[in-house]
Amino acid sequence: MSIFNLPDLGEGLAEAEIHEWHVKVGDVVKVDQPMVSVETAKAVVEVPAPQAGKVVKLFGKAGDIIQTHAPLIEFEGEAGAVKDKGTVVGSLEESNAVMDDGDMIIGSANPTTTTIKAMPAVRALAKQLNVDLNFVKGTGANGQITIDDVKKATSAPKKMHENFEVLHGVRRAMAAAMTHSHQEVVPVTIIDDADITDLPAGSDITVRLIQAMINGAKAEPSLNAWYEGKSMERCLLPEVNLGLAVDTPEGLFVPVIKNAEKKSPQELRDAVNNFKKTVKDRTVPPSELQGATITLSNFGMIAGRYATPIIVPPMVAILGCGKLRDTVVAKDGKMVIRRILPLSLTFDHRAVTGGEATRFLAEVIKSLES
Amino acid sequence: MAEMTLVEAVNLALAYEMKADKSVVVLGEDVGKNGGVFRATQGLLDKFGPDRVRDTPLAESMIAGISIGMAAAGLKPVAEFQFMGFLYPGYDQIVNHAARIRNRTRGHMTCPVVFRTPYGCGIRSPEHHSESTEAVLAHIPGLRVVIPSSPKRAYGLLLASIRDPDPVIFLEPSRLYRWAKQDVIDDGKALPLDTCFTLRVGTDVTLVTWGAMVKETLAAADLLSQNGVSAEVIDVATIKPLDIDTIIASVEKTGRCVIIHEAAKTGGVGADISALVAERALLSLRAPVQRITGYDTIVPYAKMEKYYLPNEHQIVEAVTNIMEFA
Amino acid sequence: MEIVAKFEVPYYQYLNHEGNVVADLPAFAKDTQELIKLYRLMVLNRIFDTKAIALQRTGKIGTYPSTRGQEGVFVGVGAGMAKDDIFVPYYRDVGILVQRGVKFSDILLYWGGDERGNCFASAKNNFPYSVPVGSQPLHAAGVATALKIRKEKHAVLTVTGDGGTSEGDFYEAMNVAGVWKLPVVFVVSNNQWAISVPRSEQTAAQTLAQKAIAAGFAGEQVDGNDVIAVRDRTEVAMKKAREQNEPTLLEIISYRQSDHTTADDASRYEAKGTRETHWAHEPIMRLKKYLEKLGVWDDKKEESLQTECAAEIEKTVADYLQTEPATVESLFDYLYEKLPKIYEEQRDQLIQLGGQSHG
Repeated sequence: MSIFNLPDLGEGLAEAEIHEWHVKVGDVVKVDQPMVSVETAKAVVEVPAPQAGKVVKLFGKAGDIIQTHAPLIEFEGEAGAVKDKGTVVGSLEESNAVMDDGDMIIGSANPTTTTIKAMPAVRALAKQLNVDLNFVKGTGANGQITIDDVKKATSAPKKMHENFEVLHGVRRAMAAAMTHSHQEVVPVTIIDDADITDLPAGSDITVRLIQAMINGAKAEPSLNAWYEGKSMERCLLPEVNLGLAVDTPEGLFVPVIKNAEKKSPQELRDAVNNFKKTVKDRTVPPSELQGATITLSNFGMIAGRYATPIIVPPMVAILGCGKLRDTVVAKDGKMVIRRILPLSLTFDHRAVTGGEATRFLAEVIKSLES
Repeated sequence: MAEMTLVEAVNLALAYEMKADKSVVVLGEDVGKNGGVFRATQGLLDKFGPDRVRDTPLAESMIAGISIGMAAAGLKPVAEFQFMGFLYPGYDQIVNHAARIRNRTRGHMTCPVVFRTPYGCGIRSPEHHSESTEAVLAHIPGLRVVIPSSPKRAYGLLLASIRDPDPVIFLEPSRLYRWAKQDVIDDGKALPLDTCFTLRVGTDVTLVTWGAMVKETLAAADLLSQNGVSAEVIDVATIKPLDIDTIIASVEKTGRCVIIHEAAKTGGVGADISALVAERALLSLRAPVQRITGYDTIVPYAKMEKYYLPNEHQIVEAVTNIMEFA
Repeated sequence: MEIVAKFEVPYYQYLNHEGNVVADLPAFAKDTQELIKLYRLMVLNRIFDTKAIALQRTGKIGTYPSTRGQEGVFVGVGAGMAKDDIFVPYYRDVGILVQRGVKFSDILLYWGGDERGNCFASAKNNFPYSVPVGSQPLHAAGVATALKIRKEKHAVLTVTGDGGTSEGDFYEAMNVAGVWKLPVVFVVSNNQWAISVPRSEQTAAQTLAQKAIAAGFAGEQVDGNDVIAVRDRTEVAMKKAREQNEPTLLEIISYRQSDHTTADDASRYEAKGTRETHWAHEPIMRLKKYLEKLGVWDDKKEESLQTECAAEIEKTVADYLQTEPATVESLFDYLYEKLPKIYEEQRDQLIQLGGQSHG
C-alpha cells in the first residue's frame, strides 16, 4: 500500500478543503489523471495522480479539510512505490497491461505464398485495362508478368481449339504481307483466255508466259512499276524483275528473275529450274527473293482457272495463270476444240488505269498466241 | 520467472551477466548509488561492488573513451549515457575508435563494448531528453545498433549484446520502460542479434517498426483486423545490421509495406529499408512503400510533443489507403 | 630540483553563517538599501521556487530543477553583472535571468514545455538555457572573442554546475579563454551534487577553482551563502575581464537544498540529516540576521515583504496559466530562415492534423 499526502500547493497555506473527488475506491488510475479538486482560500486546484494504480482508500470526503502533507489517498502496491518516481525528468507512463509475446517468431514467419510478380508499371496497365493478373501467364524473367503479357491478355480472344499455334517464318511473312496488301492496294482483276492451240508441241509455257509479260511491259510500262502509296510516288522500271510464285510445303516463295528482259528463253528456263531447286532446298538467298517488278503466279499447275491474285506492294500488277485445258469454243461460227490458257490479271487501280491494264493483257495474249 | 517491466528486464540481464562473467563492468553517471536515473542499474553496486559498478564524473566523451580502453584491455564494459541526447560528446570516440578498432588492427584488437542509453520521446521531459537519432549510428560501419521493444526482448537482446565481441549501441525506449509487464525467465538465454522478430503474422500488409512505435503498430494491427485487414508486424530490433530477408519474405507475401519510426523522416532508417524493398521486392509491390515517421523538426518541448509522435490512427489510415492502390 | 610553479586559491566570505561581518565589507555592502534589494530578490526567488514545485506537483509544469538554498549564488552573481554584459546560463540560474529582463512567467513557460520560454527576445543579452551539461562555456568563450574583436568593453559570464567541470568542453573553453585572453568569467555553482554524485566523487582536485590554474588564469572560492561575497567577487571578476581581458574562475559554494529536479529522489543517495545541517548556513536567514542586527529589518517588514512577493509571484503564475498555446506550425517555422520546399508538405500535413492530437 502506498499513501500519497496532500502536496504543498504553494499557497503558503497549511490546509485545503476537499472540493470534489474524481475517483472512487476501486478505480484504477493512470499517472497524472485528475484525482481530486481541493479548494484553498484562493482557488480550486486539481491534484493529479502521482502514480498509476488501484485506489484503496480516500482520506476524506467532499467538504473535509486536509492538512498539507497529511494523507490524501492510498494506492494498492508496494510500499515506497510512490516515493520512487524512477526518473529524473518527465514522467513515464505506467500501466498494469501485460505484454503477450507468446507468438513472437524469431525472424521470418516463413511464408509459403507469394504475390504475383510484376513491375509497378505492369500492374498499373493491368488495372487500366481491367486485366486480372491472376489469370495472366508471365513470360518475363523469373516468371514475371510483362507489359506484353498484359496486352495479349486483353486482345487474345478465347482460344477455340487447343491446337492453335503461332505462325512463324514464311507463313508468318505471308500472313503479314497479305494483310498489309489488303489494307493498301485497290485491286481490279481482269479475266481473259489465250488460245495456244497453234503453238508447237512441247513449248515451254512458263517461259512463253514470261516472255509475253515482258512484251506486255514494253507495251504498257505502267504495269511494270512500283507505287508508293503514302507519298503517292510511282516509278516506271526499265528492267523486268519477274517474280515467280513458287509453292512449297513451308509456304509461298517468290524468287525473282532479275532482268528477265535480257535473258534468252534457255536462260529463263534455267533460272526457273534453278529456283525450283533452291527454293525446295531452302538455299535461295534473300537477295533473290527481293526486288520483283511484276509477278507471275502459275497456280494452274495444280488446279483452278481464274483467280483474283493478290498484289504485294510496291508492285502494281500480278498475272495469274490457270490450268491449261482443251475446251469447246466458237470459231468462225463452228464449235471447235481448242487449247485454252486462262489468265487473270490483277492491277492496282491507284497506279494503273483500266486501259493500261487491258492493253497489257491484250499484248500478253497476242504474244502467247503467236 | 516473474512479471516485470522493460527497465526491470534490463536490470535483470545486467545482474545475470555480471554474475556469469567477471569481466563485465558497468559505468556511467548516477548508475551506482542511485541505481541509474531510471533504476536500470538498481542493486548492482550492492551485488558487485564499486570496482565493477562505477559512478563516473560527468563526462560523456570520457565514458565512451574509457570504455573503449577497458574493452581493448579485456574487460566487457556496459556504459550508460544518461540520455541519447547526451551521447553526442561521445560520438567521436564511438565513430573514430569503437567502430573501427577491429578493422584498423586487422582483428588484433577488438572492442566488445555496449553503450546503453534511454532514447525517444513521449515522457514529457525537458528539451534534449527526447532524441531518436539512431540513424546517425546505424550509418557507421562497424557498429551494431539494437533496440528492444518488450521486456523479454530487452532481456534476451541485452545479453546477446554484452556477449557480442563487437561494439553495440543498445537504445532503450524510455516511453516503454514501465509501460507494460511481461513474464521474463531469468535463464540467461540470449535472443539472436541481426534478426527481426515477427510479432503478428498477416497476409495483407507488412508493418515494419522498432522501439516504442511497436506499441502503436500493434494497436494499429488490432484496429486493422477489426476492419478485415490482416497485418503482419515485424519488430526490426537490430537496426544495424538489418535482417532484410525477413522483411522481403513478408513483403513478397503481402505486397504492401509500411515502415513506422519515431525518428525524423529524412535520412531515417526507414529510408534505407524502403530502398532495399524497392530493390529486392519491387515485383511484389502492389503499392508504394509508405513511411510513417516523426516530422523533420526538432522534437517539440512537452506541450507539443503529442503532435510530433506518429499514432496508430495514422498507421491505420496509411494502410487503408494503400489497400485500394492496385 | 626547483619548484617552477605553485598555485594559490583564496576563499572569500564577508558575512558568516551567524550574520556577523568577518572581513572588510565592500562599498555597496555598506549601503543598507542595496542589501535590502538583495534580500528582497532572494526572498522573491525562494517564493517563486516553492510555487514552481507546487505547479509541477499539480501537473501545471513539467520537470523543474529547484534553486532552494542557492538563492545567494544566483542573486549575487546577477547583481554583480552590468546590463551590457552577456550572460550564458546553464539551467538552474533563475535568479540571474530575472535580474536581466527575463520574466518569471518565461521561466514557467520553459519548464512547462513551451519553446517560447527560451526566447528571451526582450532580454537580448542572455543566451538560452543549456541542458547538455558543460557545453555552454565554449559559447561564452565565443561571445567573448566577438566582443574582443569588436573592441567592445563588455564581458561575458557563464555558469556551470560542479558536475559540468568534469566535461571536456569546460576545460577546452577555459583553455582557449586563457590563451586568447578573453573577457569571460567562469562561474562554477558548486552545490555539492551532480544528481547523485557528490562533489568528492567528481574530481580529485582539492578545489574546483584550481582548474583555472591549468588554463593559465586565477581561480577563487566564494561562500555562496554570503550574497555580499558573491556579488562583490562577481563585480571584481567582471571588471577584470572587461578592462584587462583576463578571465577568472569563481567557484561559488552552496548546498543543494532540494532534489536534483522534481523527478529525482535524493533520499536514495543523500544521507539523512545532511540537508538540515547545511540549512544552518542558508543565505536568506544569514542576511536577515545581519539586517536585523543593523536595525533596518524587523518582523513587520518581513511580513510585508512576504505578502508583496507572494502577490508578485501569483501574478506571474496567472500570466503563465493564461498563455495561449503556440500554433502547431511553429514546429516548422524556426528550423531555417525559410523552410525548404521539401518540408512544406509535412508542415501542411501537421496543420491539417494539428487540431487533433491523439495524446
